Amino acid sequence: MAFDANSETSDEALMVLYANGDRHAALALTQRITPRVLAYASRLLSGDRAEAEDVAQETMLRLWKVAPLWRQGETKVTTWAYRVATNLCIDRQRSRGRKRQMALDDAPEVADTGPGAEGRLQDAGRMAALEAALAELPDRQRQAVVLRHLEGMTNPEIAAIMEIGVEAVESLTARGKRALAALLSGRKEALGYEDDGHAG
Amino acid sequence: MRMTDMQDDLDDLLATAARQAPAPSEALMNRVLADALALQPQAPGPRPVATEPGFLSRLAGLFGGMPALAGLGTAAVFGLALGYLSPTTLDYLIGMPTDTAEFFPEADFLTTEG
Repeated sequence: MAFDANSETSDEALMVLYANGDRHAALALTQRITPRVLAYASRLLSGDRAEAEDVAQETMLRLWKVAPLWRQGETKVTTWAYRVATNLCIDRQRSRGRKRQMALDDAPEVADTGPGAEGRLQDAGRMAALEAALAELPDRQRQAVVLRHLEGMTNPEIAAIMEIGVEAVESLTARGKRALAALLSGRKEALGYEDDGHAG
Repeated sequence: MRMTDMQDDLDDLLATAARQAPAPSEALMNRVLADALALQPQAPGPRPVATEPGFLSRLAGLFGGMPALAGLGTAAVFGLALGYLSPTTLDYLIGMPTDTAEFFPEADFLTTEG
């Protein structure tokens, strides 16, 4: 039987099928999990594409190795993958001292150009500023904010990934967002928010 | 400039960023899939089907298995052959006349009246 990223077969069932030698299950898991882990790692690593790809591949490698020992009903595959990716990202940040590689002040200013290009540049500038601001957050706050607001996970899912309680997740995301707002508020004009009608 | 404005802008910014997830390259997907197939356990081959022993096998088991049953059959056939053979043929086979055979020559007194 062939599976794809959108089939109704659960990730956990695919793990069992993979461990039993089903090649279609290997493809389906690759298509489902890899993009999510890559996006998450890219956001934790301040957009470093090459390192995010390494983290994604290493996470998936560990997934394949653990598949024969996988025990259904204990942990969701995505929870496990996000947890491994988180640890790999932290290891890389610590070992290379790259956490503050991209300072907030390094984010590009929005240039004044033509109307179409201006919007794109403005968006790019805002994304870069957000990325830089995220890099300024403490590790746990950044993880919580990324998982909640960029990966779209629920607080219980984040709690399972970070191995903490739901209340702790709520606290981390709230503090993280406040810190982000404070970091970005000094750059509102540079990021073009004065023109969006939010000036107060 | 109020912080609440920035909070609103931040929500918009986060929502925009959430929609712009970096897509994996084809090369990365190929590497991941190659790892998956290289590390995948092999599917187990077809196992020999265990069959229930038949009636004859179970019957043979009662007598110690097929070899023992073969010996028993040979003895039975030989016994039948001996039973059906005429006394002349039997004389020929054993090399002496069966009517003069005396198994207990000294035991005549048992059959003698007097």
